[in-house]
Amino acid sequence: MLVLTRKAGQQILVGHDIAITILAVDGDRVRLGIEAPEAVRVLRGELVQEIAAANGEAISDQGQILARLLRHLIPGLPTDLPPTSSVKSR
Amino acid sequence: MDRILALEYNEAVHRIIVHEDDVLRFPDGLVGFPDWREFAFLAPEGEPAALLVCLNQPAIAFLVTDPRLIVAEYRPALGLADRARLGLSADEEPQCLTLLTVRADGAITANLLGPLVINPRTRIGCQLVLDDGRYSSRQPVCLPMDAACSS
Repeated sequence: MLVLTRKAGQQILVGHDIAITILAVDGDRVRLGIEAPEAVRVLRGELVQEIAAANGEAISDQGQILARLLRHLIPGLPTDLPPTSSVKSR
Repeated sequence: MDRILALEYNEAVHRIIVHEDDVLRFPDGLVGFPDWREFAFLAPEGEPAALLVCLNQPAIAFLVTDPRLIVAEYRPALGLADRARLGLSADEEPQCLTLLTVRADGAITANLLGPLVINPRTRIGCQLVLDDGRYSSRQPVCLPMDAACSS
């Protein structure tokens, strides 16, 4: 990680077309202005982490709903078997 | 070209045919998981939830549903770059899916903060991050199929 110390009013340039400006420093909060092309996603880190975590939690390998869907998709699947092992794609 | 998907379930392997039209491509994968790029979208008739099974990674499958079943007016705004990435023309609207999590206690939550948006014509999709503070990544939901739901 590149570590820089900046004061209010100073800038950091990333690549050819991204500029981060320190607008204000107030106690433990820093106000940043970010200029970047529209194609580049600029997001708060904790938001991305939250969605990545939610994605991981959503991985489904068993349960009633899954069993019900699989009964549609796999002809002849016994309807009285409880879902016990994982759904794996190969 | 159709694909064969081998599903291992209850220790038995079942092979199902996935039609080309049901293969979705996510060039950037999902948030946090850039390698999850190809999915079979399996939506049995009459079911409110569908299955999204990763074709290029083993053991990755998701339950998904239409977020408008949860929030009727759900319509995430796509920037020009997102629209270009999906190949959406000016008058085309994306299809949205929300990933469902079934917790150990059976409760279901939907990730309305990070919807999957898909171009129904090209079948290319991406996962958006909605930064307007309106939606939750763990929105409790009640699916019509869920017997435990009271409403």
